[in-house]
Amino acid sequence: MLKYKLTKLDITWIILMIITLLNALVAETAEPSIFITGLICISIAYKGRLVIDDFMELLNANKTIRTLMRSYFYIIPALLFLSDLFSEQLANISRVS
Amino acid sequence: MSQLVQQPFYLNGAGSVITEPESIRKIPGNSAIWVGIFSELTEFAMFFVIYFFSKAHYAEQFEQGPLHLNTLAGTLNTAILISSSFFVAKAMQSIRANRPQDCVRWLWGTFTAGMVYMLIKALEYSWNIDQGIHSDTNYFYTVYYYMTFNHFLHVGWASGSILWAIYRVNKGHYTVDRHAALTAIACYWHMIDLAWIIIFPMLYVLR
Repeated sequence: MLKYKLTKLDITWIILMIITLLNALVAETAEPSIFITGLICISIAYKGRLVIDDFMELLNANKTIRTLMRSYFYIIPALLFLSDLFSEQLANISRVS
Repeated sequence: MSQLVQQPFYLNGAGSVITEPESIRKIPGNSAIWVGIFSELTEFAMFFVIYFFSKAHYAEQFEQGPLHLNTLAGTLNTAILISSSFFVAKAMQSIRANRPQDCVRWLWGTFTAGMVYMLIKALEYSWNIDQGIHSDTNYFYTVYYYMTFNHFLHVGWASGSILWAIYRVNKGHYTVDRHAALTAIACYWHMIDLAWIIIFPMLYVLR
């Protein structure tokens, strides 16, 4: 009987695919809300972290590069969420009269 | 070196490599590729900022826009890019395990994924045009075309670098002991996948 032991890489790939399919399901079915936006932002941050740590192998690499890469995937989803939450204020402060 | 022996580097659960030449607590690949990667990520960050402001000003266009895009094409391309990153990581595992032919096979998988991604994107653009969706239809589609076509170009030239890596492995230039340049190419490819991980929900999912 053929036995294949899943490695960490395989598991990371499976998790990423599942999250992607869930994102697609949300795109097709869910009504827009701040809760959905928050959920999607968390999924972006988590997917980014998985790719950075496991595929890019930064988990054990240079600390500065790892921190910068991880920060990118905290800051951009956070900005995405905040820009949605405070969209009116953002439009007001950036309106050119 | 003594630190490396004390703390072996576990390669994605596939075993330990205590003489890993470029990864553990070091800059993967080389410094130059990271200048490139951070420059590219800064460029994409600018696109994202443009998206935030545009969405705030044209909320209705950004709410309706994703409904008219081809979600299937976006989802397929996400799955393909994630798989391509997985293939690159497998290629790195193979070269470190001194299996260059396996490495080449995984790299061909990556290149093929890149080509399929570009084909799907081209078909998606064609489908958009049939639906009357153009870059000047409204602000959402301007941002959509600007962001996705820019990403499309990155996949194109990164696929070229994967072809170069295949050539170099086949010629025996990248080996178990010497493959920092292959690591650099792999990191660049992962960066492209990372950018898409943000672009896909922004344009196809969030409203």
